[in-house]
Amino acid sequence: MLASLLASHTAPRWWIVFTLTAATCAFVAAAMVLSGIPAWEWRSEHTVGGEQIFMRLDEISAFFLLLLCVVGAAGAIYCRSYWPQQAHPRSAGQGRLWWSALLTSMGLVLTQSNGLHFLLAWESFALSAYFLVTLDRKDPAVRSAGWLYLGASHAGTLALFGFFAALAAQTGSWELGPMTDQASLAPLFWIALLGFGIKAGVFPLHIWLPSAHASAPSHVSAIMSGVAIKMGIYGLVRFSTWLPLPVEAGWVVVGLGCASAVLGVAFALGQHDLKRLLAYHSVENIGIILIGLGFAMIALDHGRPQWGLMALAGGLLHVWNHGLFKALLFLGAGAVLHSTGTREMSRMGGLWKAMPWTASLFTLGAVAICGLPPLNGFVSEWLVYRGLFDAARLKSAAAVGAVPAAILLAVTGALALACFVKVCGVVFLGAARTKCAQDARECDAGMRAGMAILAAGCLAVGLAPAFIWPSLLRVAQAWLRIGPVPGVPNHLEPLGVAHPLLALAILALGAAALAMLRGRCRRAVTWDCGYSAPSARMQYSAGSFAGIITAWFAWILRPVVRADLPVAIFPARSAINSHTPETVLESVIYPAGNRVLRVADFVRTFQHGRVQSYLIYLCAALVVLAVAVILYTE
Amino acid sequence: MPLYIDIVLRLLLWLLLAPLLPGIINKVKAWVAGRQGPPVLQLYYDLARLWRKSVVLSTLASPGFIIAPAVAWTAVVAAALLLPLAGAGAAFSFDGDVLLLIYFLALARFCTAWGAMETGSAFEGMGAAREVSFAVLAEIGIITAVLTLVVQSGSIALSSMFEPLPGPGAALLAVGLFIILLAENCRVPFDDPNTHLELTMIHEVMVLDHSGPPLAMILHGAAVKLMLFCIFLAQAVLPLSELPLLISVAALAGSVLLITVAVGLVESLTARLAFKRVPLLLTIGFLFCLFPLILTWMGES
Repeated sequence: MLASLLASHTAPRWWIVFTLTAATCAFVAAAMVLSGIPAWEWRSEHTVGGEQIFMRLDEISAFFLLLLCVVGAAGAIYCRSYWPQQAHPRSAGQGRLWWSALLTSMGLVLTQSNGLHFLLAWESFALSAYFLVTLDRKDPAVRSAGWLYLGASHAGTLALFGFFAALAAQTGSWELGPMTDQASLAPLFWIALLGFGIKAGVFPLHIWLPSAHASAPSHVSAIMSGVAIKMGIYGLVRFSTWLPLPVEAGWVVVGLGCASAVLGVAFALGQHDLKRLLAYHSVENIGIILIGLGFAMIALDHGRPQWGLMALAGGLLHVWNHGLFKALLFLGAGAVLHSTGTREMSRMGGLWKAMPWTASLFTLGAVAICGLPPLNGFVSEWLVYRGLFDAARLKSAAAVGAVPAAILLAVTGALALACFVKVCGVVFLGAARTKCAQDARECDAGMRAGMAILAAGCLAVGLAPAFIWPSLLRVAQAWLRIGPVPGVPNHLEPLGVAHPLLALAILALGAAALAMLRGRCRRAVTWDCGYSAPSARMQYSAGSFAGIITAWFAWILRPVVRADLPVAIFPARSAINSHTPETVLESVIYPAGNRVLRVADFVRTFQHGRVQSYLIYLCAALVVLAVAVILYTE
Repeated sequence: MPLYIDIVLRLLLWLLLAPLLPGIINKVKAWVAGRQGPPVLQLYYDLARLWRKSVVLSTLASPGFIIAPAVAWTAVVAAALLLPLAGAGAAFSFDGDVLLLIYFLALARFCTAWGAMETGSAFEGMGAAREVSFAVLAEIGIITAVLTLVVQSGSIALSSMFEPLPGPGAALLAVGLFIILLAENCRVPFDDPNTHLELTMIHEVMVLDHSGPPLAMILHGAAVKLMLFCIFLAQAVLPLSELPLLISVAALAGSVLLITVAVGLVESLTARLAFKRVPLLLTIGFLFCLFPLILTWMGES
């Protein structure tokens, strides 16, 4: 990895070799830990900042590291064609440098077992992500998105500083490890939830996420959404097993998860910008992960029943799955952006003809993210559902939460389906709406290879889930703080049979249908109830497709519609324009920030540089102090 | 009986009997209106005719336009195979298969809506948008009904899940599931399967541009889905699995017939709802499923 850092500026070819080698090595190490060899620990003689270096690769770290390697490698291959040296002579080298820095620091975050070093790695990870987001910093929108990210990220880091400092003060050491026996540490979980929650993009802390993911180069969006926000989840997973938990922690996490899941997808439906839409889906999927994790926490509180294990396994597997399909979707969106030059969905249409590979791979990702069988998204959602249903079936105390959570999860799934029918339909199907969509070209082999790696990952998890169960069980049992328990059945085995069968049936029937109708098709203009000359502008647009659902959620989406409706008998030009703002940012954070600024402005009027007035302030202050002293001494 | 023979028999049963239901509905409608109506087997004739025809494809359509109906049909039939048939049970069953059933139907919905977006037609885009939007509400109802059964029976496998609630709970659930059945199978008052030329259509408008064998697959898939919902409703409400094999299967067939007649009567006696009322009726359907859930919950604890 270090070698790839060095080679990044000068030799792109060596950089990719080193990056891939490092990713492969880390992948193998992580896979070995997951396959059951004991955790790897390494204590160095050297000290950094007065603390001994202590690294540990246990099951939980390895689980996240594996995802980091896959997405990191796919992104590195992709960016050679997407952000090439010729087109970006200045920023391409920086991009490679910060990419390596980002991968290295995330790897360090995952392996550090010392609070101080964890913070150092966390900060360098946040900074390298900032430089990657702002690679194209000539654009003011990118700069402001970068600022917002940096600000939010540092708010989170500040909370983590507080968290680790308080932890070190109470335990007397920076070293991290299980400390569930010290009940006084429980309240610290709330600070950790704030700090890691901002990074994970939990609603309502997600304000930085849409603009940063939309403005970053697409391979950066892919790793940000696929892996970087999972570092927040890693932190929560890690410290919810190492710290004693407050009783309400699980319920709060479930509540946040439900809010993120439903509102994330509702906001996504309102977007017209392809990458912003995908970014909001990250909020949704983080919500699904948190529902799983939250129920596991509740289960821990109830004495580790079976349903907690299922919910946890589902949440964890969703970390992988979301990393795979969301990175795939972002890379696909990047290919579209690369070839059409726009992120506006209403300017696209009919791209499948020019970009069949991108369209097929993107659709695969879309089916996966909707949680439809036989792909990977369904496997993890099924596990979460099973946890919830088991909790409801056994009428445990947690069932009061499990039933609404299951219903909200179903709502989320149906809304995500609506959203991705809209995306695929408006972007890839139908007729080209503008000239830039007409002139689109398929992306080159490097970009396709990056997408293909991730698509293969989605297929592998979807079609052979039973092989993943042992590793998943190991991670879940490590989290539940129980050793390997023999005799837990492979719960994914039925899906391991059903999914390949369904995939086979679909392939066979689809191919048969195509073969049968090969010679029997005649092409004609779309019938459309007899319109003889349909135009591309008559197609349903992204806004109109989502109109019904965005109207249901108008109370929080607050869509802004500027309509210039046709009037009079011979109407002149008319137009309609709708936009869904980031409600939390624009109705809560900005007004609050403005108020702070106004107060600051008011205070500044006292500082004007006239010495006479300053003397009066001094005298007044003295008088007030004197009065105070006299009053209090009596 | 070996597993594969069992599966083949069930498959034949589903595939051959399903097109009967729309025929019965049409016959009931004709009786109520005092017409003679099309023969009960009309859909069989239609399917055979469509199967022999060639296909007119929109110039905009991708190969997905032909593949999507095939995938949707596969998904619906796969969902049907998971469902147990009263005393005959299910061919195979595992914990959590009910979720697979719900998501198979979702996969079918994705494919149909995808196919609608292929042609670049405003009508079909409109239909797809309505279908996926109203499906959100229908899905809430279905999952609530399933949760009711789960809480009542203490099982999450379809084969042992159908343990009807006593009395009022079952009646409420029947009404709720019936409303969802009407919505999901595009019947009046949500949709009108008789006309394709209305701006108020939901499901029917999505298949405007399909023709030939793909259209046959869509129509047949719709019939299988209708039968699936009828059988689900019957088993969720009536204690069929406790009866001896033959009687229970006969009772199941009888109740499916009854539900079909009820659908036909509703279709003859009510008008299509104003478009804005559709979400309201679906919400009522959800509430009808929610009350039995609360009832089972409170009933035993």
